[in-house]
Amino acid sequence: MSADDEHPDLAAMEQVQEPDLDRGPVEAWAAKMISNPDRAYRAMFYTATVFFLVTTLFPFYWLFMVAITPGRELSEVGALTPGGFDPTSFITIFTRLPFHRYVFNSFLIATVATVIVLFVASLAGYVFGRLRFRGKNALLLLVLVTSFFPPAAFFVPLNRLFNTQVAVLEPIMSEGTLYNTPYAIFIPVSAIFLPLSIFILMTFYSQIPDGLEDAARIEGTTRVGALFRVIVPLSAPGVATAGVLTFITVYNEYFFSSLMTDGRPENWAPMLEGILAFQGQYEVDFHLMAAASIVAVLPVAILVIVAQEKIVSGLTAGAVKE
Amino acid sequence: MSTDTQNDGDSGRLVMRPLNRLETVSEQVYAYVLLIPAAILLGFIAFYPLLNTLWFSLLGDDVFSPDPFGEFNGFGNYADLLAGEAQLPQQFLDVGLSGSFPFIEMGTPFLQQALFVTLAFAIISVLFETLIGFGQAYVIDQDFRGRRWVRVAIIIPYALPIVIQAMIFYLMFNPTIGWATDLMQAIGVFGDNPLASSRDSFFIVLVADIWKTSAFMALLILAGLQSVDRSLYDVAKVSGASPWQQFKYITFPIVLPALLVAMLFRTMDAMRIYGLVDATAGCEQVPSMTCLVITALQGSRRWATASAVAFLTAIVIGLLVIVYLIGLRGSEGGVA
Repeated sequence: MSADDEHPDLAAMEQVQEPDLDRGPVEAWAAKMISNPDRAYRAMFYTATVFFLVTTLFPFYWLFMVAITPGRELSEVGALTPGGFDPTSFITIFTRLPFHRYVFNSFLIATVATVIVLFVASLAGYVFGRLRFRGKNALLLLVLVTSFFPPAAFFVPLNRLFNTQVAVLEPIMSEGTLYNTPYAIFIPVSAIFLPLSIFILMTFYSQIPDGLEDAARIEGTTRVGALFRVIVPLSAPGVATAGVLTFITVYNEYFFSSLMTDGRPENWAPMLEGILAFQGQYEVDFHLMAAASIVAVLPVAILVIVAQEKIVSGLTAGAVKE
Repeated sequence: MSTDTQNDGDSGRLVMRPLNRLETVSEQVYAYVLLIPAAILLGFIAFYPLLNTLWFSLLGDDVFSPDPFGEFNGFGNYADLLAGEAQLPQQFLDVGLSGSFPFIEMGTPFLQQALFVTLAFAIISVLFETLIGFGQAYVIDQDFRGRRWVRVAIIIPYALPIVIQAMIFYLMFNPTIGWATDLMQAIGVFGDNPLASSRDSFFIVLVADIWKTSAFMALLILAGLQSVDRSLYDVAKVSGASPWQQFKYITFPIVLPALLVAMLFRTMDAMRIYGLVDATAGCEQVPSMTCLVITALQGSRRWATASAVAFLTAIVIGLLVIVYLIGLRGSEGGVA
């Protein structure tokens, strides 16, 4: 093939001149590719696309196969086929454990954390993106530095703090501690995922022309009003990106979610505890874990399907470009 | 456009009244006022705990008392950790010098030392994720029919909760249920019980992480690809550049800064790996640095040692970030 490679035109000519030459299908294909490189690139492109689709989607397909296999036949699950057919797992997960409660807990925690992060990061992003003041770079660096630290570095004191009994909280919380409450999860994760949103929003806000803000101020809007009525709406793609990324990250979070509650649904244990709870005392119900996983992934999957174009365009216009 | 929205301002004015005082203060003061919420959140949840952790890490362990911290110990915990003498089931770093080649001696096996396991994991995973993510981003950046759905399919692993990702790969490599162990044993890569062997577990965690986070890399690199001016390609086509040349001289140089930023984020994340390990192979098999913190904390109540490990982790990450920032500065200078 290397000789053909160098002289694609010659190879094509030879083919015309010697019609009797017997070429195998592979050689004929290769010759066609060489005489028309665009075709070769397109073939490579389709091969790559199919390869990526198969590798990303196969684990989901296989998880579904496990989920519809009856509990006793689990060892029969093949690479492509289920070990039997029993879709009742998708109902059992809600009857044996209140799995919907776990998912609701996660959903609520992620929503509250997203709202907090968007509000706080909007203010901070506005300050860093649009205002000029002393100590700006130092403060920005301080924010960046917090994202170097592993969650574990915050965990030891926070664990003590949240397990400390606070008399003020006693009427509201059971036992007067924050352990086993949603606060123990969404407060730390909000703080830890705050820097990323600050950076995304900062870039977006700084791109809005000063004239628009000035015009709003001349028309009598307050300073804060100009922020929330002019700057934030104009940066809607950036706010959406930051919001979607925060929601997904918090919903998927493992570290604090697994350590800040005792795992009981009424104590605000998030979805991950629900999935792990099917590892029962006597046997592990893998088919139930698989079914629960499929149910739990639906909210974020839908979010990605709806918002993927926003995320990509948001990242394009914003943070990554710098 | 959206300046119209202020027509409904009258209703909002009452709410705004307490904020009116802000109108008269200087920009400097206004900036500080708006930063108060962020300062409270980060102060309580990030800065205060960090200083606290730093202080804890300088104390001694007191395993048997109700308060797990003992006397002030200086840098004793750090010294123990770096010398491989910490009272933990796995070591942070345990390397000695020896007289013969290769002059370095492992006190504990390579994959049982938190620093090496984590570094090896971060380097290998980020390398593969960058390559695969680039390929994926390149595919979903093209125009073709059904692109929207291919995009969703390729991005979706990124949105998968860690516990579910871990579940899938745990089951795949589970000897009784999954098929992957049979496959790996057939080609001679795995031993008898992969989830009980450091090497095989490391491989499982690696594959699971690459599968999921390639999608994240693809997302960030795609954002970089989309910011490439399309007319550059038209120029290239007119001058007869092949697709490979277009990639080499247009796409790659423009995407490089975004690529490095994406790699930086991924490296920082990979160095903090915990959930995936905890839910698949377990921290005994693959003791990542964060794993070691939790082992010290929950396994043996060595809170001070745990704090020291957490701080060492942050220092290692900080050093890596500095390396990247130097690279980033270099690349920007080169491109411009």
